[in-house]
Amino acid sequence: MGLTSPALVVVLAVVAAAALAAILRYWPRLAGRGVMPVLLRIAALGLVQLSVLGLIFVIVNNAAGFYSSWPDLFGSQSGGGAIIAGNDHTRQNAGITEAAAPVTVLASSPIAVPGRPGEPGGQLQAVRLYGRLSGLSVPGYIYLPSGYGARVATAPLPVAVVISGQLDSPGDPYSAGRLAATAARQIASRNLGPLIVVMLPATVGQHDQGCLNVPGGTQAALFFTEDLPQAIDSAYRTVPPADRRWTLIADPAGGYCALQLAMTSSETFAAAAMPPGGYTAPPGPAESGGSPLIRTQDDLSWLLGHQPMQPISVLFTGTGRGQPFLSQARPPMRVGQIGLSSGEWQLASVFDWAGTTLHQTLASRS
Amino acid sequence: MGLTSGFFMGLMIAVAVGSAAATVWLWPRFASQRAGMVAARFGLIAAGQLLLLAAVLVFLNGVFGFFGSWSAVFGSGGPVAAAQPIVVTGSDLGPVPGGSALPETANGRQAAKPPGAAQSVGKILQVTVSGGHTGIVSAGNYVYLPPQYFQPAYAHVRFPVVLALTGYPNASWSIVRWLRLPATAASLVASGKIRPAVYVMMNVSVALPRDTECTNVPAGPQAETFLAQDVPQAVDRTFRVQTGSAGWAVLGYSTGGYCAAKLAMMNPYQFPAAVSLAGYYAAGPDFITGNLYGGSTAFQNENDLDWRLAHLPAPPVSVLVTSSRVGESDLADTLTFLHLIHPPMRGYSLILAQGGHNYGTWVRQLPQSLEWLNQRLTPAVPQAQPTPAHPR
Repeated sequence: MGLTSPALVVVLAVVAAAALAAILRYWPRLAGRGVMPVLLRIAALGLVQLSVLGLIFVIVNNAAGFYSSWPDLFGSQSGGGAIIAGNDHTRQNAGITEAAAPVTVLASSPIAVPGRPGEPGGQLQAVRLYGRLSGLSVPGYIYLPSGYGARVATAPLPVAVVISGQLDSPGDPYSAGRLAATAARQIASRNLGPLIVVMLPATVGQHDQGCLNVPGGTQAALFFTEDLPQAIDSAYRTVPPADRRWTLIADPAGGYCALQLAMTSSETFAAAAMPPGGYTAPPGPAESGGSPLIRTQDDLSWLLGHQPMQPISVLFTGTGRGQPFLSQARPPMRVGQIGLSSGEWQLASVFDWAGTTLHQTLASRS
Repeated sequence: MGLTSGFFMGLMIAVAVGSAAATVWLWPRFASQRAGMVAARFGLIAAGQLLLLAAVLVFLNGVFGFFGSWSAVFGSGGPVAAAQPIVVTGSDLGPVPGGSALPETANGRQAAKPPGAAQSVGKILQVTVSGGHTGIVSAGNYVYLPPQYFQPAYAHVRFPVVLALTGYPNASWSIVRWLRLPATAASLVASGKIRPAVYVMMNVSVALPRDTECTNVPAGPQAETFLAQDVPQAVDRTFRVQTGSAGWAVLGYSTGGYCAAKLAMMNPYQFPAAVSLAGYYAAGPDFITGNLYGGSTAFQNENDLDWRLAHLPAPPVSVLVTSSRVGESDLADTLTFLHLIHPPMRGYSLILAQGGHNYGTWVRQLPQSLEWLNQRLTPAVPQAQPTPAHPR
């Protein structure tokens, strides 16, 4: 009779029920004195208890599927199998288009150092990034410092990521051109070490909510934390992943995104600068997959109070209240605030801070 | 009084035997045929049965290591976060069961360690891991450092790492005792079939008795982040191991199998290869997982591996899934999952003719699984040793 056969359950159930009924009915007959009645009592009690125990074991085993046979139970089962590459070939060849390259450079233009005509300040590339895991295709810009192409054997460069809603608004401090010029200016004046600046829009997909993974929808967090580092590392000479500590810089549209990424993915993003705010909810309509708990978690001030302090540096740029972050942050999290300078180069001090933070982090790890 | 201590187990057995003895002793006093007496007899038998069942459960728990402690059962008094990401809480752990490659004396104790024993048998450390990102603290886990880790030729070499996950409910020692992972790895290395690696053996649940299914629970334990980021970072900071892709892989059985496949698919650059022994492909929520997905069907879908394959780009990972044609209820689900896999993801299967959801089956699948995994890890290459000068 098989270990998992229904017959075994029936037999054990019948034996247990019969034994129980019999022991209750014929109890007085075993109540005598002497060795024999005592032995009979022990045998009767043992039969009841073991049959009930056996019944329980068989029922549980059938429900959970632990042991499929007697040899399985007693460990005498043997015999192996072969490992088979299990991809279905029809599917493998049908409808799979060649994956897009992680970084496609669409155009490139040189950047002059502001105020120093003729001095090369690097180049600005218009790119399209493709996220292998998120499937998102995101337009953006990449600034490469002066001499990037030439110095083949120099040290790999740190990376700053700008998240801005104004990349294509010429004249705005957070436009691609002005950001690149600001970086070139600060590098040329030696206030900033050479770095790569990746500039991305504040919305990277159809349902993007501040760079969160929209449940069942746009996987923006996946794009920023997995796809983006992989894409940039594959196409540019960057600091290797083990020492990867990127800085985020955001305008008002990207502020939530930057702070959210730093607070949840500090392994990739070590520092973030954004306008001050409470950041209690992501921008746009709240798409939390119908879950109030996911909405709770998306409140960055809640996160500040409910997860360990992350090893990140946060800089609030400009005027406004940066609470509760300014007062509640404890080491290893550091939060500061600076005012933006007036005039054409508002973000100069922010870039300088980003550079200092990047190089400090690298120095502390080496 | 420890849940798995010999004293507690002995006490439970003594109580059950004592109850049976008392029933036999007091038998004549309940021998009348009045209805009340019959009911009293039934009560005696039922009480004895419950005590016996309790003793058997405590005994089986001690043997198989479902719950390692009372706090694992009741969830009280969890371990406290330490300043160090990994704290070694034990290093002299006695014999490694099933480990012929490891020394053991006749009485079952580990042979007295000669100096430098680690160079020939390696070391198993009991560790507590504290997650810097998540704040999760997981105690009673184990790290197996192979003998090569201690040998001069490897003194400056970083080792690949296999993260091994238990089922649920389970104590991490089961991976050593029942899956025999270190012993199997040691003998495969000794016979030249695989190269040495560090094995980090973790409890798949980060908040026992809750079944967390390696999920970042909304406004709850961030179990996925803990296993995919905190643990690699903690191991990287404590041991001489590789970082980055092709240096890490993940393996697990049952719940740990689901987690291994899920962790790899969600973190392909951390775990490019995964082995799922008798895993499943979607989890809960049920009464032991609690509110795993914050009540969101959409978020639940994201944790369903088949849904991911159908709705998201396939990640660049290789996954080996195992099952049995007879005895394993997940066979159909496994074949469905394999069918959904498409490039750049690679699926592999190891299907036995027969074998239930138990260690005996997984022990039979382990050697091949480790060989498969090993082919996907960057090996630790020993450095050439300077030839010692000839004595004159």
